[in-house]
Amino acid sequence: MYGLEAISAQNGWAMAVAGALIVMAGLTVLSLVISQLHKVAAFLEKGVEKRSEKKQAVKTAPKEAVGPKSPAFDTDEAQARLKPLVAELGESFELTNLYELANSGDLPHVHLSIRSLRESGVIVPAGDGRFVWRD
Amino acid sequence: MDLLIQFLTNTGYYLVDFRNIIMLLIGSLFLYLAIAKEYEPLLLLPIGFGVLVGNIPFFKGFGLGIYEPNSVLHYLYFGVTTGVYPSIVFLGLGAMTDFSSLLAMPRLMLLGAAAQMGIYFTLLSALALGFLPREAGSIAIIGGADGPTSIFLTAKLAPHLIGPIAIAAYSYMALIPIIQPPIMRLLTTKEERRIHMPEMRDVSRVEKLLFPAAGLLLCCFLAPASIPLLGPFFFGNLMKESGVVDRLAQTARTAIIDTATIFLGFTVGASTQADVFLTPKAVGIFFLGAVAFSIATASGVLFGKIMNLFMKQKINPLLGAAGVSAVPGSAREVHSVGLKSDPTNYLLMHAMACNSSGVIGSAICAGILWSFLV
Repeated sequence: MYGLEAISAQNGWAMAVAGALIVMAGLTVLSLVISQLHKVAAFLEKGVEKRSEKKQAVKTAPKEAVGPKSPAFDTDEAQARLKPLVAELGESFELTNLYELANSGDLPHVHLSIRSLRESGVIVPAGDGRFVWRD
Repeated sequence: MDLLIQFLTNTGYYLVDFRNIIMLLIGSLFLYLAIAKEYEPLLLLPIGFGVLVGNIPFFKGFGLGIYEPNSVLHYLYFGVTTGVYPSIVFLGLGAMTDFSSLLAMPRLMLLGAAAQMGIYFTLLSALALGFLPREAGSIAIIGGADGPTSIFLTAKLAPHLIGPIAIAAYSYMALIPIIQPPIMRLLTTKEERRIHMPEMRDVSRVEKLLFPAAGLLLCCFLAPASIPLLGPFFFGNLMKESGVVDRLAQTARTAIIDTATIFLGFTVGASTQADVFLTPKAVGIFFLGAVAFSIATASGVLFGKIMNLFMKQKINPLLGAAGVSAVPGSAREVHSVGLKSDPTNYLLMHAMACNSSGVIGSAICAGILWSFLV
């Protein structure tokens, strides 16, 4: 069997039309979906950003409270508080003595204050485990 | 003396007939095209050499030929007849393909769909020429211009035609520079060929990650029979885009696809044994293959022109020719025809969008035809 007769007998017309429509519809739907993907992506990215912002906030909050190098920590104030104590200890002193003295005087953030003054070069080593005060 | 005569009667020189000579010449032509003209060398070289290997006459029954059980070639051919090689090739293709241009301009996907009309036109033509429905479906898929898809569907529907269909599909893919440009020029005016396409927007990583999942679900829910092709294809693409398995993606797009291509090409070539290949049906398949390819190209271009009737932002109808899934040959041809009309008209990226859409479209068509005809 040949020609149009063969096509009809084998259901060729239906297969061709249905096949063409299915692939056309399928790719049209896919193109519609991918044309909206940037919106889905933006939505997802927004969610991720929000979550990471929250995490960032949680992470940075305690750091501000205890961070030894925090810019919020006032070195001048620490210097003002500790200088009279150092005068009591003499020209050279041990850090442990300074720490105990400051602690007994109920000064706030004693360890942090001594450390920041060491780092900023106000308290400098004089050898033999002793330190001197330099303004 | 008897031993010597027996030996001589078993040699290829004694057993050769004119059909073997014809096939050896065809194989040599493929090798010439691949090496001297560099027409699709990755495909034509293994196929051409396979044709030479498959057409050396031998004494049947020694377990040597590709159609003889337990022969080495038969085992290698297993990957073709079961559709394993095409699936592996699709995995590598997915790991190579960048869908950015398609995601940036989704309407170009319609051109990939339109170019599939060549498949259904050829289905009707093949039925009209007296081919059985399953054979007609296998021949029709040549219009998708996708070698692995053609082999996959033929292996499922008409395994006895794998040789001629694969050779026809790959031959026409190699002949894209000869077949497509005249059709493109015939169906478009110079003004249409000069249409510039707009700049593509940047596509985010999340979009690229979402696409394989969306594509897989939509396409495979529609045509589940395309899972063996589109499953690995989108999986390969996800590996590439995820960026977390670079080693796997790299292997898929190099070693794995190369290995599959070598064995696919070589065994398909070897399957063209003269007595199986040189039949009146093969001639019909080659004729219909040319029709399928030409109609597919024309459908894409004409659909581009139809889209321009309804759209504010005109598209260059040449892009429709890249809707066939011959990646990246047809995209290159579109680009070069566009450049010839206007040296400042760069269409390559847009053509690649149509090309990748054509890959998806032809795989869906294969699934649809398999469902209809199985």
